[in-house]
Amino acid sequence: MRGWGIALALLTMASLLLGAAGLGVPDWTILWQLRVPRTGLALLVGAGLGLSGAVLQGVLRNPLADPGFLGVGGCAALGAVGVFYWGVAAVFAPALPLGGFAGAAAGCAVLLYVFRRSPSGPGLILGGVALSALAAALLSLALSAAPNPFALYEITFWLMGGLEDRTVTHLALAVPPIVLGCALLLRLGRGLDALSLGEETAATMGVPIAATLRRAVLGVALAVGAGAAVAGGIGFIGLIVPNLLRPMVGERPGALLWPSTIAGALLLLVADMTARAAGLWLPLAAEPRLGVLTALLGAPFLVVAARRVAP
Amino acid sequence: MSKSFFVSFFSKKEDSSFLKKISKKLLLIYMVVTPAPALGARVVSLNLCTDALLVMLAPEQVAALSPLARDPSISVVAAQARSLPWVRPDAEAVLRLHPDLVLAGRYGAQAALTVLRSRGLRTEQVDEPTDFASVAREVTDVATALGVPVRGAAMVVTMRARLAAVRPGQGGRAIFWQARGFTAGHGSFGDAVLRAAGFVNAGTGRAIGVEAMLTHPPDVLVTEQAPDYPSLATDLLTHPALAGIRRRTVPPALLACAGPWSVAAVEMLAR
Repeated sequence: MRGWGIALALLTMASLLLGAAGLGVPDWTILWQLRVPRTGLALLVGAGLGLSGAVLQGVLRNPLADPGFLGVGGCAALGAVGVFYWGVAAVFAPALPLGGFAGAAAGCAVLLYVFRRSPSGPGLILGGVALSALAAALLSLALSAAPNPFALYEITFWLMGGLEDRTVTHLALAVPPIVLGCALLLRLGRGLDALSLGEETAATMGVPIAATLRRAVLGVALAVGAGAAVAGGIGFIGLIVPNLLRPMVGERPGALLWPSTIAGALLLLVADMTARAAGLWLPLAAEPRLGVLTALLGAPFLVVAARRVAP
Repeated sequence: MSKSFFVSFFSKKEDSSFLKKISKKLLLIYMVVTPAPALGARVVSLNLCTDALLVMLAPEQVAALSPLARDPSISVVAAQARSLPWVRPDAEAVLRLHPDLVLAGRYGAQAALTVLRSRGLRTEQVDEPTDFASVAREVTDVATALGVPVRGAAMVVTMRARLAAVRPGQGGRAIFWQARGFTAGHGSFGDAVLRAAGFVNAGTGRAIGVEAMLTHPPDVLVTEQAPDYPSLATDLLTHPALAGIRRRTVPPALLACAGPWSVAAVEMLAR
């Protein structure tokens, strides 16, 4: 636990010293209005994604479950796009995370309703792939229907995410729902442990299965929904982190929750610092998108994980 | 109605400049004495910039404009366009209108243009002007293609007179910062506007973020006024961290397309 704390503190410090202005102590405006929201959002959104992945893998009893992969992130982005481009968020700022939450909750609800017979079967993952393709298509459709004629150019942000030039307001909007969502999810440890022994065993242990599932959906929708609303669609964090930690902390899903939260935060912060460093030192037209970096790491990871699952 | 608009557009600002008075009179005389030539010619415009020139030079010839022409945040002829037909840049839709001439830009709708040309339709493509001299050439070319060269000449004379009347303001190093963080580089139309208003252009033509802007802030940050519809691209320009940099804004429609109307942006910036 102390190791995690030291890593978190050191990387947060390093993150505050790195940006387009170069490596070093920036002036106050840059520090408070750019680096702090950026660092804070990376930690917060990453924590939400890592924890959501661990909970989804536990509740669905499938190590390939990931909020992005299941289409929950895409649905969240769709909800946020709806309130952002049609001006609702300009009038009432909290509509942005609320839109993301509504989209993510709707996505989860559809998926779990369609696969209510066997939520832990392999079908749900494929259904998630279909949902994520549908969400991307609807996202493109929504952006081409948006009143701003250039909205479609911004599809890369909503599909691949990014934290450049976010404001303190974005951070303030994201903190309450993500913290609340994570608090809900972190309390599911015992329920997930019981579920890992099978639904019948869990029922005899007095664990309410339906309620556990509902709380998981609510927590994931809050954490992933608000995250996608301020940082766009970032995939693979929820897949990589729990699978990476499992050999270290064991198979018990409840034991994965806290480590996945912290490791998710660290991983997204490192990915974002890599994006900033690449923008600073590589001859690129713009910083690479955050989701590009997580996919570069996550796609090979998924292949390895899938090979282990399929005999 | 359209003629009165044409005149009013170029006489918005009262100015004592001799050249300007003369050009205004020339235009009025011309408008009164010459009937619209090429009567019955039907012209389709597939590009926001040619939309504006078509409506200003020959409103009676409009068969259809591009859909963007009706958007007041980017179109200088939005009011007139609302009562005129529009068409998507789609070959089939354009063919149904049986136009005599199709106006388009160098980018976008190129596949449609290829089809239209192969069907024997007359097309006129205009380049994006990079300064006011090339605006003048474009106006002349389009006016000639429309069969209204005298109207085009009058438009050019008025534009030159207004430009000549601009007295540069306080000057200094300026960056014209556009959607998605792009800066106007040397040789761009934004550069021409900044120089005409008396600024030294400190932009490079590359996109820069808020942090880079704060690291090397210009004396004046020139941006377009926030449009009616939100987008990430324009949210960037109003980032609160930039509050400390002096800023001038211009209505986005004036510079969405480079044209004679862009002189109004120069006048605003020079003030």
